[in-house]
Amino acid sequence: MMRTLAGMLAVLSLALCLVFPVLTFQGRIAEDASRFGFFAASVAWFIFSSVRVSLGRKAGSR
Amino acid sequence: MAGKIAALASNLDKLYEFDREPVRAEKLQSFAKFAGMFAGEHVAATEFVIGAFFVLHGVTARDLFLGLLLGNLLAVLSWTFICAPIAVRTRLTLYWDLRRIVGPGLMVVYNIANAILYCILAGAMIAVSATAIGLAFGIKSPALSDVLPASLGWVLITAALGAAFTALAVLGFEKLSTFAEVCAPWIFVVFVAGALAVLPKLGVRPDFKNFWEIATARIWNGLPTPGQDKFGFMHILFFAWFCNLAMHIGLSDMAVFRFAKKWTAGLATAFGVYPGHMLAWIASGIMVAAVGRDMNPGRMAYEALGLAGVAGLMLAGWTTANPTLYRAGLALQSITPGWPRWKVTVAAGTVTTVVSCFPVVFVRLLDYVAIYGLVLMPVGAVVFAEHWILPKFGLEPFRAERKGQAVNARALAVWTGTLAVCAFLPVHLFYRWLPGYGIALLSYVLLSAVTQRKTQGA
Repeated sequence: MMRTLAGMLAVLSLALCLVFPVLTFQGRIAEDASRFGFFAASVAWFIFSSVRVSLGRKAGSR
Repeated sequence: MAGKIAALASNLDKLYEFDREPVRAEKLQSFAKFAGMFAGEHVAATEFVIGAFFVLHGVTARDLFLGLLLGNLLAVLSWTFICAPIAVRTRLTLYWDLRRIVGPGLMVVYNIANAILYCILAGAMIAVSATAIGLAFGIKSPALSDVLPASLGWVLITAALGAAFTALAVLGFEKLSTFAEVCAPWIFVVFVAGALAVLPKLGVRPDFKNFWEIATARIWNGLPTPGQDKFGFMHILFFAWFCNLAMHIGLSDMAVFRFAKKWTAGLATAFGVYPGHMLAWIASGIMVAAVGRDMNPGRMAYEALGLAGVAGLMLAGWTTANPTLYRAGLALQSITPGWPRWKVTVAAGTVTTVVSCFPVVFVRLLDYVAIYGLVLMPVGAVVFAEHWILPKFGLEPFRAERKGQAVNARALAVWTGTLAVCAFLPVHLFYRWLPGYGIALLSYVLLSAVTQRKTQGA
């Protein structure tokens, strides 16, 4: 359950990474805001995908 | 001499012992598994350079898109019709299949050649990442004509990065491999997001309607940068086809496809090459155009995405240099009997670090990729001939194994002879492997026919 949730949040973070440059491209947000957003979404991706992988390992080792 | 070869071969056998047996039926994987695995591959730090070089070589937008579409298709077909069928038939890695075909002695030579090529490739990855660090310290990226290091700063950066990558590889290859799995999808997103972020700077409007106009006028405008050859459709097609030559025609990916239920699993490589060797190259082309064709991956990434872009470049270099260092170490272990794993990795890392100081591996990367595939290609031709062609002509395959030969002299002659001929072929370096492959196949079959008829006659 936790692993699935972490997986979903990871995919969402990765999608967000793409949303910010798209918004900049469309002229809706400034470049600096886009860079910060991309950075934050990237950090979220690494956290959630690492949690997903480690939970998968624990389940596998049982 | 024979005793030495036997000892080296025995060391090598021990390293690969774990995958000596053919894969069992219960271990076979579905097409979806292969698609997922390949989708996470083929995005390395070097993609930042390759796509950018196409822009500098003055390729036109039409030639680029068509060349990449068809070249990658040919690569997928090479995996599907050449590599996967042999892997499914033998269920062995290239190492064990090659060992019975070329003999354990030549296998040692093949491994050493592979180790050297891997070290140079990892060196190029370190050099690409070094441009990101150089940006922070104001150290200039190498000029396109540089062969030797142009500054002490560049040497220090590459040496420090090489030492760091090697230390991390020594500390834990497996943990890093898991981390690389986490990084792979994000690194691909860095390419796409980076290209999207710089499109407005190039003048592409939010409705995307003028993209093609900008692409043909400001990105792939057909004008090479001074000092660079002009590339056309055929250059791109051949590059996309051969950039993984060692894996498909050279048969290295037998290690992967031996787990396939059917040879059609080769088609799954499309999930890797089209994102990695088409979209990522297009994205890096857009990014280099946005920085006025300055071949500096660090600057390209920073201008596109800021610090996250620089981190993406560093991680792309690190996660791809790590397995390359590991493979180089594994290949080197054959000639360093009794050395612990860390010592071999340090040796491979030291060679790689020295190589990375020389900008030529980075600024001539396209040529190096061509040479890398070319060097290993004749071995793939020999294996292909043994499996499919010799039996068709009533010739006995796997003769070296049956006769207990340490070195298959025919394979050695074909390997060195083909490379010698390729060195003098009057065509562009990118095209040489294809006639070379034909020469290797034909000469191996002819040599086998002559030697076998002679033996029968005797």
